[in-house]
Amino acid sequence: MASSLVHTILSTIRIWAENLAGRWGIPPLFVSILAWIAAFVFVIVLVLLMVLLAVYLERKVSGYIQSRLGPMRVGPIGLFQTPMDALKILSKEDIVPRGADKIMHTIGPVFFFVAVVIGYVVIPWDHGAIAARVVDLNIGILLIVAVSSLGLLGIMVGGWGSNNKWSLLGAMRAVAQMISYEVALLLAIVCVVVQAGSMSLSVITADQSGTLLEWNILRWWLWPALLLYAIASIAESKRVPFDIPEAESELVAGYHTEYSGMKFGFFFLGEYAHLFIIALIGAVLFLGGWQSPLPASVADPIPGFVWLMGKALAIIVVTMWIRWTLPRLRVDQLMEFAWKGLVPLGFVAIMVTGLAVALGLGGGGM
Amino acid sequence: MWGYVRDIWQGAKSIVVGHIVTFRNFWRPKITDRYPHGNADENWQPGPGYRGGFALLKSDKEGRELRCTACMSCARACPVGCIHIEGEGKGKERHPVSFYIDMGLCVYCHQCVEACPSEALTMTDEYEISGTSRASLVRDLAQLIAAGEGQTEVSRVL
Amino acid sequence: MSETAQAPLRTEDITVNVGPQHPSTHGVLRFVVTLEGETIRECVPHIGYLHSSLEKIAETLRFGQYITNTDRFDYLNGLGNELCYVQAVERLLGVEPPPRTQFIRTLMAELKRISSHLVYLGTYGNDTGAVTVFLHAFRERELLMNMFEAVTGGRLLYNYLRIGGLRNDLPTGFDEQVCSFLEHFPPRLEEMNDLLTKNRIFIARTRGVGLLTAEQALSYGVTGPTLRGCGVSYDMRKLRPYAAYDQVEFDVPTFPEGDCLARHLVRMEEMRQSLRIVRQLLDKMPDGEVQADVPRRLKPEPGEVYERVESPRGELGCYLVSDGSDKPYRMHWRGPSFYNLQALPEMVRGGLVADFIATLGSLDPVAPDIDR
Repeated sequence: MASSLVHTILSTIRIWAENLAGRWGIPPLFVSILAWIAAFVFVIVLVLLMVLLAVYLERKVSGYIQSRLGPMRVGPIGLFQTPMDALKILSKEDIVPRGADKIMHTIGPVFFFVAVVIGYVVIPWDHGAIAARVVDLNIGILLIVAVSSLGLLGIMVGGWGSNNKWSLLGAMRAVAQMISYEVALLLAIVCVVVQAGSMSLSVITADQSGTLLEWNILRWWLWPALLLYAIASIAESKRVPFDIPEAESELVAGYHTEYSGMKFGFFFLGEYAHLFIIALIGAVLFLGGWQSPLPASVADPIPGFVWLMGKALAIIVVTMWIRWTLPRLRVDQLMEFAWKGLVPLGFVAIMVTGLAVALGLGGGGM
Repeated sequence: MWGYVRDIWQGAKSIVVGHIVTFRNFWRPKITDRYPHGNADENWQPGPGYRGGFALLKSDKEGRELRCTACMSCARACPVGCIHIEGEGKGKERHPVSFYIDMGLCVYCHQCVEACPSEALTMTDEYEISGTSRASLVRDLAQLIAAGEGQTEVSRVL
Repeated sequence: MSETAQAPLRTEDITVNVGPQHPSTHGVLRFVVTLEGETIRECVPHIGYLHSSLEKIAETLRFGQYITNTDRFDYLNGLGNELCYVQAVERLLGVEPPPRTQFIRTLMAELKRISSHLVYLGTYGNDTGAVTVFLHAFRERELLMNMFEAVTGGRLLYNYLRIGGLRNDLPTGFDEQVCSFLEHFPPRLEEMNDLLTKNRIFIARTRGVGLLTAEQALSYGVTGPTLRGCGVSYDMRKLRPYAAYDQVEFDVPTFPEGDCLARHLVRMEEMRQSLRIVRQLLDKMPDGEVQADVPRRLKPEPGEVYERVESPRGELGCYLVSDGSDKPYRMHWRGPSFYNLQALPEMVRGGLVADFIATLGSLDPVAPDIDR
């Protein structure tokens, strides 16, 4: 299998590096730190690439939905448009408004971006120990949820530090929205955790191994959780119809109104990275992670991380479809929907899942 | 209770219908003309009465003399006063020696063409009339005559 | 317990500028909005950013020359504005345009109404966050623009109507163009309704928002779809039929709720009624001249005249005073957007920021029409 070939290559490189380090007398702790850094760099590069792809896709999908062509001029079918825009953003002037808190204004976007990217370290990209993930925490999903809500702090700090009322309003809305939907998101995740019996993402993936029918999306007792996750995750990534923190027609640009240049770029990157991680978790929780949908008897030439990426991209395209279809909710309706609609639905979902697992339908290793 | 359920059902249905609409539009032919690339040039023609640039016409196909008699009707009719003419000669001999139209001021209202008693001034369907400086927007006599080369009819007028 | 713990939490109102540079002010408008959290305490419109002195300019131009300026203040209703002005001058002069002219004028005004409501539909979708409907509406509007270009030679600034007539007759093949539009457009309108009007989120955003009672509306001089959305059937085309409106059948849609959704539904229904009018006009279109005999130099008798037409935004009025010369002594436009905007502070007080945007969009203001 090709995926095992990838592993052979990667493990060969690792053994070679370890031997080299041994010959040069570098302590093994240092080597493993280096390996971590290398893995983290790999993750960040991957994130940036995926963000570029997602932005390009967004433009194309929105264009096609709106009877337009989307970017067509830079490169073949406009493929280089987003890299060029990224370069443009890098070269733009960084403006800090008068009266703004300079330190907070700078920390905000960085904090937001880092908090989002940290979540990537626990995503199981593939089976096997090497290159599969940076770390395999047994509470992986908990880490992601915890860290991504830290990103809120970045938004709040940035919105507050901008000395702009629109930014402040946007930041307040963002905090209110994300705290509320975090609860719903967590309830949806709990269902899957109950089903798999573990908070480790690789165990959750393994729980869905076997045929296509074993995927959580095809287990009917997880459907309430799936619906809940779909809605809450879109709200978490602050996209239409839940984009009230930046609601363009109301708050100009919300919490990043006063940002330009690379600081804005961090917010922008962070947003798409957040979208991507939401899609990745969705793929892991409900679509079988890196596992191939093909039956086991068919030799699968595609490595697992490509499957995972493909699933995540499919989810992203669906969120784009939703984004370019629906109007935006109002802030009070949004909160009402979260607390009166989704949270009760979450308890129902947990009950359904719990009953199914208790009756022996679900796997459940509790 | 029943109303509550029905509200949820209808809300969900309306949202699904919206997605069907956007999905259908996703596959429709796109209307973008990739001007000036692609096939935009063949596809797009200005309408029959399009009001673009200006031209001064000659009295016959061979192009011997101008129809314009420098009577100033067009300059008087212009609401913004963007036409400047200097004429020479008397009676039948009268002809313009300088004729400026400032396209930067022009509001493309076509009233000068309608005012012209000798059907000498016309608007063309030239549509790429932007320039990089204000001076480049001023059309002089030679440019106006060149724009009317080979044309014998004025643009649509009652 | 200490005193401070019992005292209510002290909050402060914040004042924000919505505009002059804001994504949803439909041009250059400015509102000073006082917010308590997200709730609007007070909203003060500041106008004048697009004042273009059109009324004063009229005093320096001859009657025929001014037509070119009428396209420019309510740029979504160019042909309707021309109609208003031309009718005012014709009444001053006592000129009666030929019947074919009246039909073509009505036809163009109704097509322009559809085009204007399409812009409203698109921008309102944009205001409520549904961006796609904006481009769908503009895609259909493009077909109308092509028609206007074929007839008048311009896409936005037409200068098509003349005192006592028209610049030119309809071009050949125009009937087929309109007929194919009449075939093509209704399903697309239904599609846009599916996408926006029937959407549950959109209804939640607009129902019961920006409430205006009929009494309030009348006292502020609100007209057009905004007034008809309060249940008052007030339409110049019915009340005082001008041009060829007495020759066609149509309904004046009214909705009694007085909220944003009612105003939206009025406009959607008006588009269907306009299609109906266009169809009848094409069927009944008489032959003949399109220009009445008018002297080359127009010198009306001294006097004054006030002419009203129904623009897509409401009652558009043109007041002309003549002192016997070839230029107006004084002219005044009654821009419907200006009067409709006066009711906005009443409508948004106590609402949320999002409601403010939804209400402003539902008035369909055109900034140059407010400032003139």
